[in-house]
Amino acid sequence: MDYLDDESYEPSSVSDPLEPVNRFFFNVNDKVYVWVLEPVSTGYSKVLPSDIRQCVSNFFYNLGEPVRAVNCLLQGRVHDAGRTLGRFVINSICGVFGLADPAAHEFKMSPVYASLGETFSVWGVGDGFYLVVPLLGPSTLRDLTGTVGDGFAMTTHTPWNDDVLTTAAAHGVRSVNYTSLHLGEYEDAKSLSFDPYIAFRNGYFQIRAKQFDHTHQ
Amino acid sequence: MYISRIKLFIFTVCFLFIAGIFGIQTAASATPDPTEQFRPFIAKVTATLADPDLKTLSKREKSRRVISVVRERFDFREMSKRVIGQYWRDLSPSEQDEFESLFTQLLQYVYVDRIDDYSGQEVEFTQQRIKGQRAEVQTLLVDKQKTIPVAYIMTLRGNEWMAYDVIVEGVSLVRNYMEQFREILRKDGYSGLTDQLRKKIVELEQENKVS
Repeated sequence: MDYLDDESYEPSSVSDPLEPVNRFFFNVNDKVYVWVLEPVSTGYSKVLPSDIRQCVSNFFYNLGEPVRAVNCLLQGRVHDAGRTLGRFVINSICGVFGLADPAAHEFKMSPVYASLGETFSVWGVGDGFYLVVPLLGPSTLRDLTGTVGDGFAMTTHTPWNDDVLTTAAAHGVRSVNYTSLHLGEYEDAKSLSFDPYIAFRNGYFQIRAKQFDHTHQ
Repeated sequence: MYISRIKLFIFTVCFLFIAGIFGIQTAASATPDPTEQFRPFIAKVTATLADPDLKTLSKREKSRRVISVVRERFDFREMSKRVIGQYWRDLSPSEQDEFESLFTQLLQYVYVDRIDDYSGQEVEFTQQRIKGQRAEVQTLLVDKQKTIPVAYIMTLRGNEWMAYDVIVEGVSLVRNYMEQFREILRKDGYSGLTDQLRKKIVELEQENKVS
């Protein structure tokens, strides 16, 4: 994917056989966001200052590092796997259980993207088709499988696997916290688009292409 | 005789080598530096946005003022061409002009919405890439809470680098609209697209963003 080549402006062909169903869930997610997630996150952002919320975000991100390191290894990115594990150790110890990110600020070890969906893609597994998942949002058959796999892998070392309710609460806090750091972005993107469904579908694939591209890191 | 030939050969090689260096240098100096051209432009845009007078203007006036500055470094014609894609050739010259004007107005509001959010963020230039007549200048918009990577894709027009795409957090604006417009063109044709653009422009003009 190089923006300087005209090929990157060729229309992409997205496999979306479930479009009517996807559109339905896109609207469901939209309603959930507008009526529940956003008001809750707005209230939450008024209670907690942004640096505390950034710490919460760091904490959740840090918990995902071991799984990211394993994915790096599965993709043959040995150096990245080392960097991710290094970040995990530094941030868990010097960053108070990952609340801060001294690895990025003091040691110049910036975060590395890796996921099971990406591992599948490196192994040659195709996307299948585009999916809008209730509560999770845009994905593809392959990426959703990856997300579920990463989720199960996380449970080996996250502190809230006693019962479903605690796990759901942890995910709820994570979503609310994330949204509180990105308030207004969703509405902005929606108000500037002609067909939000297409805009977000295209956005999903563009962002993912950038995440999977490690040439400029 | 033989010696002088070797001398001549060496001389020729040296001459070609030196000429080569100079040749490359003149070629390199002929290509202006995109970041150097873009830096004062960004400074001008941020100065315009930070101008307290701007806050007192109507939304339409605000966006007009900003777009007049943005025009200096943005090639709206090229943007329009790319966003329409293969259909561009099928449009009459007057339709092409009409679309360009509508699409420019739409982008005005994309920008003007950013004005209301603007509160003195800093722009950092991180790196640039040049590939023939194209260049990418990568910047970071540094805000209190977050840092947003913004890249500008440019083409060389004579001696000026002109931007034809903006990539915010990995999403190209032109490609995103291209995909949406393609669906509209397929379903409702060109007139359907211009109708939707007009409707959207009115909608954005009247929208008072509560932030």
